[in-house]
Amino acid sequence: MSTKDAARLHTSFIGFDLKSPLIVASGTASHDVKQVQIAEEKGFGAVVLKTVCSEKYDHMRYWPRPRYKLLDWDKQIGGRSKQFTLYSYEQGYSGTLDDYWEFISVSKAKAKIPIVGSAFADVPEDWVDLARRIEQSGADAVELDISSPHRPGSLGFQETFVAAIKSVVEAVSIPVLVKLAPGSDVLGESIVAEQCGAAAVTLCNRLRGIDVDIESQRPILHGSYAGVGGPWTKYYNFRHVAEAAGSLKIPISASGGVMTAEDAIKYVLLGANTVQILSVIMVNGWDTAAQINSGILSYLERKGLNSLEDIRGKALRQLTPPDKIVRWSGEPKKGPRNDWD
Amino acid sequence: MTGTEKKYAGLNPIPPEFAKAQPPLALVVEDDCIGCDRCIPLCFFNAIVMIDKPEHKYKRVAVVDPDNCTACGLCFEACPTDAFVWVPDYSNGRHVPRNKTDLEDRDL
Repeated sequence: MSTKDAARLHTSFIGFDLKSPLIVASGTASHDVKQVQIAEEKGFGAVVLKTVCSEKYDHMRYWPRPRYKLLDWDKQIGGRSKQFTLYSYEQGYSGTLDDYWEFISVSKAKAKIPIVGSAFADVPEDWVDLARRIEQSGADAVELDISSPHRPGSLGFQETFVAAIKSVVEAVSIPVLVKLAPGSDVLGESIVAEQCGAAAVTLCNRLRGIDVDIESQRPILHGSYAGVGGPWTKYYNFRHVAEAAGSLKIPISASGGVMTAEDAIKYVLLGANTVQILSVIMVNGWDTAAQINSGILSYLERKGLNSLEDIRGKALRQLTPPDKIVRWSGEPKKGPRNDWD
Repeated sequence: MTGTEKKYAGLNPIPPEFAKAQPPLALVVEDDCIGCDRCIPLCFFNAIVMIDKPEHKYKRVAVVDPDNCTACGLCFEACPTDAFVWVPDYSNGRHVPRNKTDLEDRDL
């Protein structure tokens, strides 16, 4: 890659200079040191490590087998399905807490790109403990995974997570990202996260979903809800990013459904600073990063732009309020579908 | 839906019965493998390799490396002939490197 191209991909995000707006999202592709090294080599700007859970959720690090199912995957065309769902029962980081601290420090030693630790807990003390240890282990930032599709349903945003965000922000000096799930009030939760002192929000997590096998008349896999995601989730998340970008001052790391450079560019046009990908790495491989990066570069070239910063939020500013949409009265028309009188 | 038109072709939607007592591991039924290479890229853990097998109908077959297999289930989705089956992992998952703590030496 030429120096000019490298400069074009350059992205500033929560105080870091990333060599690309692409970030590996927390998950299977950010579960060990070698993957962090591969991510750096393949052109990712940063890595969010797999989420570690507090002692109380120790069971989450033992994964059932099998833990994935690809729904609506067209095996006849060898995985070139445009729409599919990765149905996942993989939960937290599979090692112990000590493994995780070591994972962070070794990753930091072996890679130059920023490393973001990711944590999940319930009570503020546990959140603070995990976040502090993540900071002490050398992570550049911490992402609070308050919206994991596997979290216990009893933990609500207002009751549990607001206190968690506040106490973590007070306790650590590294930037704190808050990861939210698609839902009815992403904008409201983003604003609360910003008020609590979050450095950025990650929009959005996977959804909690379920599928049923009609032959055995049971939920598939292990009988519980699972995390669902896939290319189709982008349409929800485009909206959440657009809404949040219109109201927030802190940057947004968009995530969900990105398969191609076009998807990543759309997120930026709607106001995102960085784009996190994961499922696509799993099904299409690590080279996806290079494809997306070069797709972004050729788009910038074609549009005569110097960086994505030039177009960030451009589509958002073109958003039309419903009352400004040009509408026409329903004058009677002839034809079989209008023939009701 | 009948025959090959199953909704859940490949991986059965419900884990095998023995999975309650023994961790499952993926295995390729060599007679069913057509050597199409679809499972190789979909395996995120590099646990499947193609080996030459002159006596096989297609001269080559996919083989699962139990050391790298995390029994995630993705290969079942890749296989157009449903050649993958679950077998009990009698090592009890011990040789699955992703659960070990040796960060330096572990394979993906």
